[in-house]
Amino acid sequence: MRTILFFLAIGLVVASMCIGLTAGSVQGPKAHPDSPVRNIVYAHVPSSICALLCFCVLLVAAIGYLKTSKESWDRLAIAAAEVGTVFAIVMNATGCIFSHAEWNTWWTPSPRLISAAMLLFLYIVYLILRSSLSGAKQRIARNSSVFAIIAFLNVPMVIISARFMPDIHKASFEFGSNWQRVAFFLGMISTCFLAGLLMWFRTDILSTRARLEREFVN
Amino acid sequence: MRYFLLSFKAIFMKDIVTEFRSRQVLPTMIVLGMLIIWVFRIASEVASAEVSAIGPIALWVAFLFAGLLAQERSFATEEHQDCIHGLMLAPIDEGTIYLAKLLVNIIMLSIFEMIIVPAAIVAFELTLSRSILTLVGVLMLGNVGLSSVGTLFSAIVQLTRTKGSLLSVMVLAILMPMMIPATFALLAVFGDIPAELIGTGALSVVGSFKSAIMFMVVFDAVFVVACWLLFGFAIKE
Repeated sequence: MRTILFFLAIGLVVASMCIGLTAGSVQGPKAHPDSPVRNIVYAHVPSSICALLCFCVLLVAAIGYLKTSKESWDRLAIAAAEVGTVFAIVMNATGCIFSHAEWNTWWTPSPRLISAAMLLFLYIVYLILRSSLSGAKQRIARNSSVFAIIAFLNVPMVIISARFMPDIHKASFEFGSNWQRVAFFLGMISTCFLAGLLMWFRTDILSTRARLEREFVN
Repeated sequence: MRYFLLSFKAIFMKDIVTEFRSRQVLPTMIVLGMLIIWVFRIASEVASAEVSAIGPIALWVAFLFAGLLAQERSFATEEHQDCIHGLMLAPIDEGTIYLAKLLVNIIMLSIFEMIIVPAAIVAFELTLSRSILTLVGVLMLGNVGLSSVGTLFSAIVQLTRTKGSLLSVMVLAILMPMMIPATFALLAVFGDIPAELIGTGALSVVGSFKSAIMFMVVFDAVFVVACWLLFGFAIKE
């Protein structure tokens, strides 16, 4: 069942890429009409949205843990942070490639680029904190939850900067054809699906490990 | 309320008196701050920007790193002979401990700034383009933001193996967005911001001095309240 779902997600991602790459480029106002780099949008936008969604899941899991002290919330938090890191890396890497091709610079200190880098840093710091905390399991989970909640306070700023501030980075783009629209939304759905699946797998691995540890100790 | 004030005063006095008697952190902070200003001053000779524009930036860098020293100490001292357990056994609200420690850190940073800011003004030949009260206001807003996050995380990192270095990474990652309006405001106080910033960079997005102050007030309020509420979870056994 899992293997089927996993390959379905991968298939959807590949299909959306293929449609995106073959059915022409996205028409941005400034971009050159035959620039193939703009097709990166089919990977860049879905992965940015998934990185943000994973942070929301992380917040919910952190609040859930502080409220209930159930270990399953903590496992969800770890999974969300790890998957979120992957998507944040994809977002920043694709963004850099696009930026180099279109604006002739790898990185520029514009609000949206700063906030994207910040999101990645917050994820990495969360993972570093988790790995360097020592002591009882509950205390590690509680302290990382506290950090996750404080870190989330910066996320509204990421969203505000991505939508409302004047920036070199466009807030939206226009589709040239229905094929592009299909490719884009297929990419969106498949990437979110993939993120959810990865989180599910990771929490499952963690709960199996916890069960093994319990049995081994007893 | 009276009980809150009593316990608040007790913790606050304990920390302040300990620091003034032992004089462990403040001298270190001042030397570090002076060195940072000095290094920036030397480097600014080859910088393409005007020397005076580097001054406020050097100041924020000095505040960030010296502030981290003060914040790390606020719970490191409690770990000696398990003082933290005594503090937690006392019948006081955890929020009170946080607020008292926060105030100590703010005062430490303020004393530090009283020495470092004149030094930077002399070194970089800075001139104030707004009143001195505005400068104090901007510095205080920065102080509160820096200390609020640092005090909370100081309690968390005492459990880690890496302690201080992890604290700096955590605090700097969280404070990154706040540093944009803070830099803008300090540059504006020293008159290094042109009337109109054109472009799409981070500083030009802040727009005006007023909005920079608004940003900082919002950040401070959000961080202080959130850290105060979450502090209980961070020190619970």
